[in-house]
Amino acid sequence: MTAGAAPSTAYDDLPYTRGGAAVDRTDAGALVQAAADGDAAAWKALVEGLSPLVWSVVRAHRLSDADAHEVYQTAWFRFAQHLGRIREPGKAGAWLASTTRHECLKVIRSAQRLTLTDDPRLLDRASEDGTPEQSLLDSEEAAAQSERVRRLWQEFEELGERCRQLLRVLMATPPPSYHDVSAALGIAVGSIGPLRQRCLRRLRARLEARGAM
Amino acid sequence: MSDRHDDDLFGEEDFDDREFDDELLEEELRRAAAVLDAVPAELQQIALDAYALHDLEARVAELTFDSLVDALPVRGVTDVPRMLTFQAGEVTVDVEVTAQGLLGQVLPPRSARIEILGGPRPGSPLTSDDLGRFTADVPLSGPFALRLRTGGDVVVTEWLRA
Repeated sequence: MTAGAAPSTAYDDLPYTRGGAAVDRTDAGALVQAAADGDAAAWKALVEGLSPLVWSVVRAHRLSDADAHEVYQTAWFRFAQHLGRIREPGKAGAWLASTTRHECLKVIRSAQRLTLTDDPRLLDRASEDGTPEQSLLDSEEAAAQSERVRRLWQEFEELGERCRQLLRVLMATPPPSYHDVSAALGIAVGSIGPLRQRCLRRLRARLEARGAM
Repeated sequence: MSDRHDDDLFGEEDFDDREFDDELLEEELRRAAAVLDAVPAELQQIALDAYALHDLEARVAELTFDSLVDALPVRGVTDVPRMLTFQAGEVTVDVEVTAQGLLGQVLPPRSARIEILGGPRPGSPLTSDDLGRFTADVPLSGPFALRLRTGGDVVVTEWLRA
């Protein structure tokens, strides 16, 4: 099954695609199997297809950059280690999302044990130093667009924690299935749709209040 | 709800429009994330290289106890070592991670050659004594796993972040 498959009503079967190229469940199962059998190209496809999801889950938990990098690596190392032993290879995305979530929660827990409040590791934000993408954005013809993106991002960052977390995972590329989102955040599949709607509308209201839409 | 009842058709169109707007906004966020908070390239490269960690020879020792999750914190005591237990069949590996390094024991007691892995590169070697005890004086940071070779058996502990 690829991106154009007929839509299904079961949340569980929502494809990884809600509009992009993707690793859907059947593909994921086949890729995991092939990678376990020694096919390096299959591994590459898995990394390219699911890496943004893992990163989004890490980012949703607001770790420091150093912790974020370590959790991301741990998730992939463990995935490589368990290739061929994963019970439901078709749910590789959910497996990775859930592994990443648990490692994030451990980081948060160990930080809480070290200092009870105001741990900067929990509060610091995505680094904003100049990446190549940033410089591209800064080019003159992109200036207006860039300003809009920046405002959008700023309003997104200032949403309540629950909304910020959900949207950060939903905005992974390709769009994750609700099943993966559920694994990433530990919330019921059935509550994702209504929450998403509420959070997106809240974000839109903030943008409108700023005259940004 | 009653007003929607009066005008089902418009209600539905409204709904579709709003859903469409939601899709657009989510898509815009997706593009913003791809620009402002993409996976760092060097990190994705590490994930690609991690394929080397797929080890057909080894059995995976699963984490069965992690004091970070399974033990209650002791109030006022902050510098507690992290206690971990891994299990692969009849082999148990107990590990204590401290600021100085780690110490551990293979059970049932046996001598083992042990490698501390930090990623898809060769790790630093250790040997356990006849009682299965081992120590390392290098502080752990980041992801790590232990690869144990004992007799003809190879066991690797589940990857964890120290």
